[in-house]
Amino acid sequence: MEHPFFHVSFAPNVKLVSTVRRFTAEFYERVLVDQEVSEKVALATHELLENAVAYAVDGETGVRIEVVEDLLTIKTWNRASPDRVESLRAAIDQMNQEKDADKYYQAMLEKTAYRTDGSGLGLARIRAEADMRISYAIETDRVCIEATTSLNRPLHGRKGVQ
Amino acid sequence: MNIELPKLAGGVISAEASGDAGVVRVRFSGTADLEAKDDLEVFVKKLHREAVRLSATKVIVDFRELEFMNSSCFKIFVAWLAQVRDLEATQQYRIHLLSNPNLLWQRRSLAALSCFAVDLVAIET
Repeated sequence: MEHPFFHVSFAPNVKLVSTVRRFTAEFYERVLVDQEVSEKVALATHELLENAVAYAVDGETGVRIEVVEDLLTIKTWNRASPDRVESLRAAIDQMNQEKDADKYYQAMLEKTAYRTDGSGLGLARIRAEADMRISYAIETDRVCIEATTSLNRPLHGRKGVQ
Repeated sequence: MNIELPKLAGGVISAEASGDAGVVRVRFSGTADLEAKDDLEVFVKKLHREAVRLSATKVIVDFRELEFMNSSCFKIFVAWLAQVRDLEATQQYRIHLLSNPNLLWQRRSLAALSCFAVDLVAIET
């Protein structure tokens, strides 16, 4: 199984996020040898999709998951309001300035404990709990968020893997 | 110890609490995602109020049948821990989290909760 990928787009709908998470979890179980990695990336997929659905301003959001060499990438995209685009850009830049993912996550937990609007935890959680790097690409109102992780173990279907 | 906390029976999540001899027990099952968030938030706020009202010394939270928790629902538990942490020492209660080793997300998420309130939280597998 060389260069496996999974790609789906759907009308933004909160109820579909868990459905897509279960769907993608099965993809990960079939592709990845390491169950712990499968669960981590399923968590990351769910968090990214919820963000994409929550802030989408038009009728479509999407996710693509692919494995190239030993790098797994989850990519979500949607169109968002200018305010949302700017706050997302600032949040990711600020998060990536702190090299220690766990330290940043704990700081975010302290901050979110007293927040009344949203959690603001999703991306920090992906980075700390799923050990993934987060980056973004923005073209006017189109936001694409990427989460990547290196795979230490080979994929199902590759030579020597049952 | 008569706990006044209605059972949570949402579409995707359910929870049930009981109390005995200073200990409140609550068991969650299902999925804690955006659909569950509002119901879960109300339930956890009531749980805290009841624990304080009953002068509970310990709340045991059973997550073993909770398949998944998103960050919005995770935040509800963070806020709860902060509320307990902010109580006078005499009113504080300990929180024991029962986790399922087969649900790997729980390992890191519950460890993060434990780090957030290290003097209050214990994890049992």
